[in-house]
Amino acid sequence: APPAGPSVFLLMVNGQVESAQFPEYDELYCKYCFVYGQDWAPTAGLEEGISQITCKSQDVRQALVWNFPIDVTFKSTNPYGWPQIVLSVYGPDVFGNDVVRGYGAVHVPFSPGRHKRTIPMFVPESTSKLQRLTSWFMGRRPEYTDPKVVAQGEGREGKPPGFRPCPPPILGFSSLLPSGLALVHFQINRRRRTFWHACP
Amino acid sequence: MAEVHVIGQIMGATGFSESSLFCKWGVHTGAAWKLLSGVREGQTQVDTPQVGDMAYWSHPIDLHFATKGLQGWPRLHLQVWSQDSFGRCQLAGYGFCHVPSSPGTHQLDCPTWRPLGSWREQLARAFVGGGPQLLHGDAIYSGADRYRLHTAAGGTVHLELGLLLRHFDRYGVEC
Repeated sequence: APPAGPSVFLLMVNGQVESAQFPEYDELYCKYCFVYGQDWAPTAGLEEGISQITCKSQDVRQALVWNFPIDVTFKSTNPYGWPQIVLSVYGPDVFGNDVVRGYGAVHVPFSPGRHKRTIPMFVPESTSKLQRLTSWFMGRRPEYTDPKVVAQGEGREGKPPGFRPCPPPILGFSSLLPSGLALVHFQINRRRRTFWHACP
Repeated sequence: MAEVHVIGQIMGATGFSESSLFCKWGVHTGAAWKLLSGVREGQTQVDTPQVGDMAYWSHPIDLHFATKGLQGWPRLHLQVWSQDSFGRCQLAGYGFCHVPSSPGTHQLDCPTWRPLGSWREQLARAFVGGGPQLLHGDAIYSGADRYRLHTAAGGTVHLELGLLLRHFDRYGVEC
């Protein structure tokens, strides 16, 4: 019989934030962090990072390449709260201020091996034209006080939690606009003490 | 008790004629199932297809069930709505799919349908918007009273769900 009590398993995540496609923006850098449930904890590696600033290639691909390494190991007793990687992409606006160009999140894959994930990136935007114009002038866009809210499902209807509009909204509510795609490679290994059905 | 983890995303939708779409989702299970962690229902943000046809939601789903029996395997039911510039919502489609029963990561395409009304209601929908909706959401995932409905096809919702099963081998269930 399997041993009683909680059983610990380890999830080793290697990989890279490879590149992105943002048709409208250039000179971008990205930050990644992990969001996970209460039963999870990182045991090795880095759970967040900031990449270099990259420019689009001159050729027809118009590629924005970071090739930014990810290396973290989690331990847990419960698959609930499986880690998600949250990416935030930033770039300069016309006036040189750093503004957010997109947020995106995806669950770390389950099964051992190599996986590619294409993550759609969203930027919070006011539906009010006047507020969009004012924020363009001021160089201050709505951004999340904590990017980790992107990994949650609650509160996506209407105003998301942790949303800090600057300047204060005059009318309308915020929505999320898609702005680009990011490509992440994962290489996963698992180590487990008890046997549970997972994946081929 | 056996346990099931459903971890994944509602990625988005394609094939809808309306734009500015959002999705209300929920999970229905039988009496033997108990939700240990996670939220059983939710609503995505509104998204408009920018490049190509797909509206992206990337809405995370993380559910942990315990069960005493196989009957009433979880079903995910979806309602896709569109929102116009005045903030009014119009139904774009209902759909459901069973949560997969084999472990691993699965790509699911869930077709949707919407009730058609009389020709007057269809004409009104084309000009003014609105249209008939179901009074009780259980017709979405149950076949019981479907014969009463006359419907038209909507677009497709795309999901990526990962399944982790635990202790099913103790009960002799092959997965």
